Amino acid sequence: MAEEKSLLAVFSDLDPAADAIEQLRMLGIHDDCMNVISGIPVTEAMLGRPSQWTNVPRLALGGAIAGFLVGAFLSFVTPNMYTIMVGGQPFAPVPPAVIVLFEMTMLGMLLSTFLGVFLDSLFPNYRPMHYVPEISDGKIAILIECPPPDAQKVTEVLKKLGAESVNETEAQHL
Amino acid sequence: MADHKHHTSHEEHLREQHLMLDPMPRGKMNEMVMESMHTTSWKFWLVFGLLAALVAYALFYKWGVMILEGLGVAGVNRPSYWGIFLVNTVFWIGISHAGTFISAILRVFKAEFRRPFTRAAELMTTFGLIQAGFSIFMHMGRVWLSYWLMPYPNQRQLWPNFHSPLSWDLLAITTYLLSSTMYLFLPLIPDLAMARDRTPDGTWQKVFYRILALGFRGTEGEWTHLRNALNIFAFAIIPVMFSVHTIVSWDFAMATRPGWNSTIFGPYFVVGALHSGMGAVVMVLAVVRGTMKHMKYFIRPEHFEAIGKLMLIISMAWGYFFFNDYIVQWYGGDKWTKELLHWHEAGPMGWMWFGMLICNVAIPWAILWNKKWRSTPWLLFLVGMLINVGMWFERYIIVPISLTINRMPFTWRLYQPGIEVWLGIGTLAFFILLYMAASRLIPLIPVWEVQEGQMAHSLKKYGRETVVAVSDLE
Repeated sequence: MAEEKSLLAVFSDLDPAADAIEQLRMLGIHDDCMNVISGIPVTEAMLGRPSQWTNVPRLALGGAIAGFLVGAFLSFVTPNMYTIMVGGQPFAPVPPAVIVLFEMTMLGMLLSTFLGVFLDSLFPNYRPMHYVPEISDGKIAILIECPPPDAQKVTEVLKKLGAESVNETEAQHL
Repeated sequence: MADHKHHTSHEEHLREQHLMLDPMPRGKMNEMVMESMHTTSWKFWLVFGLLAALVAYALFYKWGVMILEGLGVAGVNRPSYWGIFLVNTVFWIGISHAGTFISAILRVFKAEFRRPFTRAAELMTTFGLIQAGFSIFMHMGRVWLSYWLMPYPNQRQLWPNFHSPLSWDLLAITTYLLSSTMYLFLPLIPDLAMARDRTPDGTWQKVFYRILALGFRGTEGEWTHLRNALNIFAFAIIPVMFSVHTIVSWDFAMATRPGWNSTIFGPYFVVGALHSGMGAVVMVLAVVRGTMKHMKYFIRPEHFEAIGKLMLIISMAWGYFFFNDYIVQWYGGDKWTKELLHWHEAGPMGWMWFGMLICNVAIPWAILWNKKWRSTPWLLFLVGMLINVGMWFERYIIVPISLTINRMPFTWRLYQPGIEVWLGIGTLAFFILLYMAASRLIPLIPVWEVQEGQMAHSLKKYGRETVVAVSDLE
């Protein structure tokens, strides 16, 4: 099987980019073979793209549970490791434990949210990638993987729809 | 014809007033932000050098002296064992609250005016917390034993006491420092990528931005993960922020001392923190706008006006909590509490008590009600500075002054600060120094957020009136 070609089409505006995505789909290019790269967060709805999956909320929940368990360990288990009974005072009281539980739960949740972005986005990633610096200057790019025989047709269609440039790209260091 | 002219001039006026209605091409905005980072005059380096020297002397040399000589060189002594170190700890944690308040609360409530200065405020949070950490370590005296605070067992499997407010402090401040640093970094990634793309190859800056941008390109997936994470952070960091200063207040309120044992100390401290934090934000914005290239485009009188309104509301809330705390103790307090209240007002430091009320209440109320005045950057800088002086006074009154009066009159003695004055100046200089360094290394304006806001704003006509319309792009 021939290797797929990577084309990077750069648009100056959102509307032609959204039209181009629709047209590419009609040409038989599957959504999985396209990726939109932009300098600001453009929602899937604006581009007519399927929703992106993210694990970040689930990881946040997992982190919160882990943090809660650490808090419970600190509040209720550690006093048992070296028992000091103080007259008139409860051994492992709940009200102070609420504070420890809260702080550790929040810390767990926020740390795992942060790490979730790294895991889901595969950060840090310093390998060569398909990219043009104009994207951070406000351009919208569509990265297309297509079979080599279709490349010419795809390029023509995208140019007709207002692409500023459509180039076969080599992955490069950013 | 005249009507058309009127509408055009009204529209022009709106665009001039509001950054969100005055868009520029993204490339141009990027260029402006990069230029603002790279344009430095000799005055910048002069101030930077002087501050570096001050930090070296006042913070590190004097701290070294205190470590060698012991805490005896500081003014803390019976009965005021808590002095300026803890005043500064509370003060810096207070300053750090503005970043989260502006960035998270205003993000949650979709207050659009926040967009250009969220990062400037978030930086204050991280740098303020670093100074708070320094102040706590100074207060410890034997700072090389600070690892004893960490939650791990000693040789006899004895763990720290998690029923102590001081242990809660460690957990809360650590959580807040880590969270606010992560919350600063996440929205910075796209701007670091922008800086990477605009920096020539072969320079150390290119390597710096390349490493920190983590390979961010702006793919759909990357934006989705980032947006989700920012939403979670914006909601979750708000209770963390509230908890930090509440727990700091419990360091005092849990003790059955006159003047401290108050159920209202938690919210009173939180509002106080927001008061000083907002004052500090407005000072930073006025300096950034006045000294950095192109910042007049991004930070406009509308932003000072909006922050000024918040400052006025917070000042009123502070006045309310202060009076609530005061009246209950004045009405129903025991003999020693009444003695303390009298000492606050009529003692040798009474000028500080009245100064606190003038700076925190009288001046903000006298100035901030007026739209024109609260839109004037230099005037707001002045108000912000006075609020910070007033809030520092407040912490000084709560900590060493209140410790002077206790239930053993033979121990009463007015606190006289020693080396801690230098160390306090050192933390202030270090805060400014860090901020100046950051202003040259990272984009202070979150360009992608500004552009996103500009996309969402438009002018719409209702009948003959042109009004600002905002779309929810999420």
